[in-house]
Amino acid sequence: MAKELTPQEMLRIDLSPPTKDWMDIPTVIKPGIYCYPAKPEKVEIVGMPNGHVWSPLDDDWGLPEDWKETFLEGMRERLDKHRSFKIFMDICVRCGACADKCHFFLGSGDPKNMPVARAELLRSVYRGEFTKAGKILGRLAGGRKLTEDVLKEIWYYLFQCTECRRCSLFCPYGIDTAEVTIIGRELINLFGLNINWIQEPVANCYETGNHLGLLPHTFKQNVEFMCMDIEEFVGITIEPPFNRKGAEILFVTPSGDVFAEPGIYTLSGYLLLFEHIGLDYTWSTYASEGGNFGFFTALDMAQRLNAKIYAEAKRLGVKWILGGECGHMWRVVHQYMNTFNGPPDFLEEPVNPITGTKFENAKSAKMVHITEFTADLIKHGKLKLNPKRNEHLKVTFHDSCNPSRGMGMFEEPRYVIKNVCPNFYDMPESTIREQTFCCGSGAGLNAGENMELRLRGGLPRANAVKYVHERFGVNTLACVCAIDRAVLPASMEYWVPEVDVAGVSELVGNALVMEGEHERTVDLRGRELPQFAQESQESAESGEEVK
Amino acid sequence: MGGKLNKKLKSLLERKKGSIVEKWRKVIHSSYPPETAQFLKSQKDRFHNPIGSSIEESIWPLFDEIIGDSDPVKTKKLLDTLVRIRAVQDFTPASAVRIIFALKEIIRGEILNEVESEGLYKAYLDFESEIDRFGLLSFDVFMECREKVWEIKRNDLLKRPGLLSAGMCPSYMMKRGFKHLEKLKKGVTQH
Repeated sequence: MAKELTPQEMLRIDLSPPTKDWMDIPTVIKPGIYCYPAKPEKVEIVGMPNGHVWSPLDDDWGLPEDWKETFLEGMRERLDKHRSFKIFMDICVRCGACADKCHFFLGSGDPKNMPVARAELLRSVYRGEFTKAGKILGRLAGGRKLTEDVLKEIWYYLFQCTECRRCSLFCPYGIDTAEVTIIGRELINLFGLNINWIQEPVANCYETGNHLGLLPHTFKQNVEFMCMDIEEFVGITIEPPFNRKGAEILFVTPSGDVFAEPGIYTLSGYLLLFEHIGLDYTWSTYASEGGNFGFFTALDMAQRLNAKIYAEAKRLGVKWILGGECGHMWRVVHQYMNTFNGPPDFLEEPVNPITGTKFENAKSAKMVHITEFTADLIKHGKLKLNPKRNEHLKVTFHDSCNPSRGMGMFEEPRYVIKNVCPNFYDMPESTIREQTFCCGSGAGLNAGENMELRLRGGLPRANAVKYVHERFGVNTLACVCAIDRAVLPASMEYWVPEVDVAGVSELVGNALVMEGEHERTVDLRGRELPQFAQESQESAESGEEVK
Repeated sequence: MGGKLNKKLKSLLERKKGSIVEKWRKVIHSSYPPETAQFLKSQKDRFHNPIGSSIEESIWPLFDEIIGDSDPVKTKKLLDTLVRIRAVQDFTPASAVRIIFALKEIIRGEILNEVESEGLYKAYLDFESEIDRFGLLSFDVFMECREKVWEIKRNDLLKRPGLLSAGMCPSYMMKRGFKHLEKLKKGVTQH
């Protein structure tokens, strides 16, 4: 698809792009936008078909001879199975309400990234191959046949959607373009066209329980390594429990928190919080991943990878599950887990053992978000906090797509931040809460080779961060998602380099006044606190909350 | 920066500023596909049109810098606002910075008759050289942005937990790494 330019083409510096119909504008696949293909062995490990070596820049993608039949048969099956998919294929009237709501369109200016157009790539095949009008009238009815070029175009744009669902918020018919992407990705996985940044975590998760492929002893050692940091920076010794049968609560978080910077500092925050309240809990080195890249591959793969969480809860005999800061993990937990692998009748309705609060929202799936849990503790005055330690931070909050749009968690993180950081400034209303802009790298697109795509997709979010940075001097972007923590630093470095990224639990950990701690002169990253001098204990106020 | 602009030419350019910059904006918008150009023009909210608003924020003061005594720091910042976004979009380097040089054609169309009747050719040629300088400066900015993208890519690669992603223990990986180094020394690059 990508070809060398002729000398004439090199000399042509044309400011005017083609004005033809979108079906007539060929898609040129460009480095910097696509992610590398899945390694064959990572496809085979989980029993998926046609693992092979190929490149998106080659003409020959190594497709099996019957790829077209496989695709269309797969599409037919899913049209029958998922009523929502069939409806989404049929009812779009191309009103354009979603057109300018996608961060990839706003950042790239590529009209094929308008959600309506991206879904149209697949919808045109649906019309051309499945509907009478499309079969007879072809393009007149908005239909086209599935060819290799069409497949390549669909593939290219399926991986320019982060399944963030911002577009669905504005669709008058409630069409969820993320679901179209989900089904589209299932279809291309029928003949081995996944990207490696998704496939390898899936294979790792299948083999070791987590995306990073951390073996149990490594997982344990990494958590203990953060305990050594805590010993140095806070002055207390924590001995976290692992795989402890009979614990009240199982804690599951994305493995990025265990290994990737700055997620590891969020993990330090969890450790301090649990120690602070004396929580009866356990880590698991088997259910060692809250995230689920299977969700970006195929729904049955998501189900397979998710199964370990309930299985481990059952094995350890816990009462309920507490989950760490993650994005898509919470869409899976909130909207799929209970029907994927539940209902978990062997668990109890989650009750905060410190405050007695019943988490009614988690009554069925039995899994509670750490930020809900922390907010509840603060609300009941159970945490001894010294927000002054975060005084040098001017904080704003990025609502991650899935905890906000996927589970409606808007106020809890803000409430927690306001109680641990004296300076908090929200970004403009139309860029936060349910209207939040994606980080630009979700749904498995947080690779490095597609950095140009990530930076384009990150522009609308960064643009709002830049505004609060210029207006209020904001220097910290807080979030409750491991992918955000992994990708927003790159986006900030390019668009707003003055702003750093932190997990909410990290900010909580900095403010927590621990029993037996020494004078806290550095934060959880070991950076010196500018204002540590005369504060400490006397200003620590127990349970005084900020509304 | 640059030489003093001829007073007559400057007042002519100031008088025509509105129509010149509006045409300039249109040309920049038109460097995107038509549907996008229409959107960039119509959406006024800066948070829902980051490309359009960055264009709007930069072209007016940039024009003032070009015809005035330009401040290098301010000029670079404005060019950055204009070019940083294009540096990660579907533009070749030439078409990314072409928008500055396009200003020459626009201004010619607007004031050439008066330049001729007022005998301002020499001053006008000097002024075009000034635009060229801005164009070249925008290429500096473009390259800085591209270098930054590569730096971010490199850092991202270094931060990847490659040691563990294959599910191996670090000591095994180290041994494997040594073997790989030995192979490289022997000139075997494939493994």
